[in-house]
This record gives sequence, structure tokens and C-alpha cells, in this order.
Amino acid sequence: MSIVALELKSITKSFPQRELLRGVDLALQSSNSYVLTGDNGCGKTTLMRIVAGLEPASGGAMRFEGVAIDLRRYPETLRRMLVYVHQQPYLFHTSIAHNIAYGLKMRGVPKHQRELLVGEAIAWAGVGHLTDVLPHKLSGGEKQRVALARAKVLRPRLMLLDEPTANLDSDARRQTLALIETLRHEDVTVMIASHDREIIAMPHVERLHLEAGRVSAA
Amino acid sequence: MDLLEPTRYAFYLLFTGDPALWRIIFTSLYCSLAAIALIAPPAVALGFLIAIVSFPGRRALVVFSQALLSFPTVVVGLVIYMLLSRQGPLGFLKLLFTPEAIIIGYMVIAFPVLVVFTLSAVQGADPRVHETARSLGARRLRAAWTTLFEVRFGVMAAVVNSFGRVVSEVGCAIMVGGNIAGLTRNIPTAIALETSKGEFAQGIALGFVLIVLALGVNVALSVPQGEGGMK
Ligand SMILES: Nc1ncnc2c1ncn2[C@@H]1O[C@H](COP(=O)(O)OP(=O)(O)OP(=O)(O)O)[C@@H](O)[C@H]1O
Ligand SMILES: [Mg+2]
Repeated sequence: MSIVALELKSITKSFPQRELLRGVDLALQSSNSYVLTGDNGCGKTTLMRIVAGLEPASGGAMRFEGVAIDLRRYPETLRRMLVYVHQQPYLFHTSIAHNIAYGLKMRGVPKHQRELLVGEAIAWAGVGHLTDVLPHKLSGGEKQRVALARAKVLRPRLMLLDEPTANLDSDARRQTLALIETLRHEDVTVMIASHDREIIAMPHVERLHLEAGRVSAA
Repeated sequence: MDLLEPTRYAFYLLFTGDPALWRIIFTSLYCSLAAIALIAPPAVALGFLIAIVSFPGRRALVVFSQALLSFPTVVVGLVIYMLLSRQGPLGFLKLLFTPEAIIIGYMVIAFPVLVVFTLSAVQGADPRVHETARSLGARRLRAAWTTLFEVRFGVMAAVVNSFGRVVSEVGCAIMVGGNIAGLTRNIPTAIALETSKGEFAQGIALGFVLIVLALGVNVALSVPQGEGGMK
């Protein structure tokens, strides 16, 4: 039996000149993976940012694992259950290990345990040979993998990945795709905004389409 | 005029540890460092707040702070002189012509420099810094701290800049310090007032120290930047 991780009801988002989201209804089953497609500028990023509490919605309701969420006062506890990864992730100008440890630190994970988890995450992302390289000197693909590790290490209930393979050359894209593929074995719900055919074609991924401000199964 | 002889004597004074000369250098360093150490924390905090909190009149405050950057330091000196003079409202503190008076003047001069530089460093930060921190579970205050830490080189530049400004400042230090030998005479006031009395060697030596200080702090700033990474 599957339970609903995220449920959106009539989510709207309008700007003075434009109604971007016109009532998004959506239910994501726990531990499943979803790809969200849609034309450029249709609101995929905006929708994910609303869910992640980085942007306010104009209206609508959200439930997370059955609990109603007050979108006007986005709860801090929910922030710790899901994580949004930018299309072009920002890495702090410190070190790869520090970047991956950041969220664990925020959750009060003790140092020895943190180091263990960070080590695992570095291995998972295949960036072990890069740990002495300054984060901002990494290539786009390496940054993306570090950002994925930084998100996954938190064992979130929901991961929101914004076009994780866009702007990557074929090798980098392949490595990123391989990482995303491994997430299916984790107990995490994944929503990926993407135009990437290979992600869209992944057999375990359910397809959602955003068009004219609404989401439908594709 | 012979330049070689006073220059040679200048280095003789420096390297033999001439007490009067080193007393002057010490006064300069003491007043500048004390002033920056005292004023930097609140000024950086204020610059940061102005950058991240929007409130009515923010724009005007920013413009005002920027205008203060070119406020004549001798006028700062004049105002502090009047406040601290015996008949002034703060005259009872008996601070006029003490190193502490210079420190107060330096704090006033450094304040807008620190605020404006911090403000622009934080405003120049990538908005994703704050969002990334928040999305990774940082609370508001912690995410703010992370943002400030991300622009740490900009904040250090603010500190170095304000130090450079006060350490070479003449007008205010003369007015509220009075160039008293062994007490408030510092590098710029000594150069400005003693050279005309024929102290060429001392002037050259002090000028040399001032240049080394001003260049030195900037070099010191650029080292971690090169390694620790600007954008
Ligand atoms: N403040 C604003 N006022 C008006 N329109 C805005 C504002 N902010 C964003 N928009 C519009 O909302 C849309 C944002 O779309 P969003 O970035 O969510 O799309 P997307 O589906 O992620 O697109 P892409 O595939 O290009 O990433 C854009 O068309 C943008 O112009
Ligand atoms: Mg987008």
C-alpha cells in the first residue's frame, strides 16, 4: 500500500501581469519518482520553490504526509523533511566536505556521525578524488553531483531536483543520470523537473506535465 | 637639498629603535586598531541588516551612508573637539587631547566605510546562498550568518579599507589629539607638523612605515583571497 507524501490542492501563483499557476492539483506517492515536464517558463521551478518554502503561493493548500501545511507560515520542521536542488546549484566557498556536512550540522548531527555520513555521500557522488578542489572551481557536472550528495545525505522524505542534467555535457550528464537512477532504491520521494528524454523515459518514473498552469499525468 | 643623508638617517632611526619614533608608530597602530576593533562588529552588523531587511527609508539611508564616505575628516575632528572641549557637553570626560579622543574620531570615520562596504558585499552575494542554506535546513538567523560568511572577503576588505583610511588620516587626529609628543603624536600628525621644523629624517622614516602598513594590509588581504577563493 502506498501513502501520499505530498498533496497539492488548487495551488495558484499570480504575478501582477500574469497568472502562472492556475490551480495545481497533485499527489505524490511516498518513495516514488516523478518527472515534471512543461515548456520553458510554464512554472516548474516556481512550483517546486513553493513546495520547498522558498517562495509564497498565492493560494491553495498543501499536505505533507497527511499533515496540513500552512503555506503562509511555512513550518521549519517541513524544511528539514524536504530539500530543493537548484538547476545551477550553489556550493558554499568552503570545501566539498563542508558543503555536504552543512545540512547535517543544521540538524544537530554529532561530528563523528557527520563525518561518517559525509564520507559515504562523497563516495556515492563519486567525488572522492576532488575533495581538495575548491567547490567553485568544480565543473558544472561535479557541482551538480556534490549538490545531489548534499541533499541526499540528509535522508529527506522528498527531493525536488530542478533540471539536474540541463547544461551538462554528455559525460557529466551520464554520471548525474546514474546517481538519480540510484535514488529509486532509497526511501525517498523524488520529483524532477526536466526536459531530459532519458529521465522522462526511465521506467520507474511517473510522468507529470505542467501546462496552462495545471498539472496532469502525461 | 640633500635627500640621501636624511634618508640614511631615517633608516638608522628605524632600525636602531629610536624611542620617540617608535612611540609615534605605536600610537598610530594602537589608535587605529582599537578604533576598528571597537567599531567593526556593530558597523558590519548594521551594514548586513540594511542589506537584508527592507524597511521604509532604506534607500535614503544607503545614499546617506555613501555620502558620509566623503565627509571631511577634519570636520569630524571639529565636531568631536567641540563635544569634548571643556565647555562642551562631554567636557567632563576630560578626553580631549588623549589617544581615546583620537580613537573616537577614528571610529566615526571608519563607521560609514565599514557599513557601506559590508552592505555592498552582502548585496552582491548570490541570492542562492540564502536559499541553499534555508533549503538545507538553516533557520533564518543561521542562513544570514552563512551569507555573511560567504562574503567574508568583502567584509575583510571593508575592515582593511577602514584601517587604511584612519591610519593615514591627519585632520581629525590633529584636532582632537593635539600632536602631543609621547601621547597623541602619531604618524600622519608627526609628518605633517614636525617636518616643517626640520625633522626630515623622521618624516621619511614615518612615511616609509605608513606606506608599508597601507600596502601590507592589502597584501595580507589578497593572500587568503587567492587561495580561499573569491567568486
Ligand atoms: N515577479 C514576476 N513577475 C512576473 N512574472 C514572473 C515573475 N517571476 C517569475 N515570472 C515568470 O514566471 C515564469 C517562471 O517560470 P519558472 O521559472 O517557474 O518556469 P520553468 O518551467 O521552471 O521554466 P524553465 O523550463 O525555463 O526552467 C517565467 O515566465 C517568468 O517570467
Ligand atoms: Mg525552471
